[in-house]
Amino acid sequence: MNAFIPPRLRKPAVYALAGVLFAAAWLVRGGPLWWVSIPALIGTATVVARLYRLGGSDTDEGARAGSRPDERQRLVGQRSRALAGSLAAVASFAGLSVAVAVNSTWLWPFLITFLITGYGYLLGLGNYGIAEEGTPDDADTAGLARPPVRT
Amino acid sequence: MWNRVREQRALRGLSQAELAAALNVSRQTVISIESGRYLPSLPLAFTIARFFDLTVDKMFDPDEQEAGA
Repeated sequence: MNAFIPPRLRKPAVYALAGVLFAAAWLVRGGPLWWVSIPALIGTATVVARLYRLGGSDTDEGARAGSRPDERQRLVGQRSRALAGSLAAVASFAGLSVAVAVNSTWLWPFLITFLITGYGYLLGLGNYGIAEEGTPDDADTAGLARPPVRT
Repeated sequence: MWNRVREQRALRGLSQAELAAALNVSRQTVISIESGRYLPSLPLAFTIARFFDLTVDKMFDPDEQEAGA
C-alpha cells in the first residue's frame, strides 16, 4: 500500500488515521464528553500539518518525517524505538509491582503491556538473527586438527 | 575510526551536499562520517571507496585512531 502513497505523505497519513480513530473512539463512547473528539481532530490536523512541513526540511528529523531516511537516520530511528520499548517494559514492570504490592485490581494493563514488550523482544530475537547457528561448513572445519567431538 | 572522506572530497572540490547526492545519503550523514561520529555500513563504505577510486582499507583505517588516541 505504501507504494501508492508519496513518501512525504506516508507518516502524516498514519498520524491522521490514528487521530481520526482516537476522535471516533470519543464519539462512539458518547455521553457528555463526546466533544473531546473535536479538539482531538483539531490537534490531529495540527500535528499532521507540522509533520508534512517538517518532511520538507533538510534535517534528520525532516528525512524521517518525510519517509526518506538513509542508513544512519534509520539506525537512529531504530535505536529510539528500542529505547522507547525498553522504557515501556521497565515502566510496566514497575507499575505491575506496585499494583501487586497494594493488592490492586488495576494490575492488568501493566501486565498486558509487560507481556507485549517481552513478547516483542523475543519476536525480535527470532526475526533478526538469533538461532541461526547452523552447522559449520567444510571451510570452517578444514583448519581443525580433528573433527569436533559429537555427543 | 579515522577516514579520508573529508580529504578526498576536498581534493575533488566537492561540497558535502554534492557528495551526499552522489552517495545517495543525507548531507548530515556525510558530516557524521567525516567527523567520525558514524561508521558507515559495509555497503556504504564500499560505495564511498569506489566513488573516490580507493580501496576500503585505504579509505578507512581503524589503526589510525589508535595511533592518534
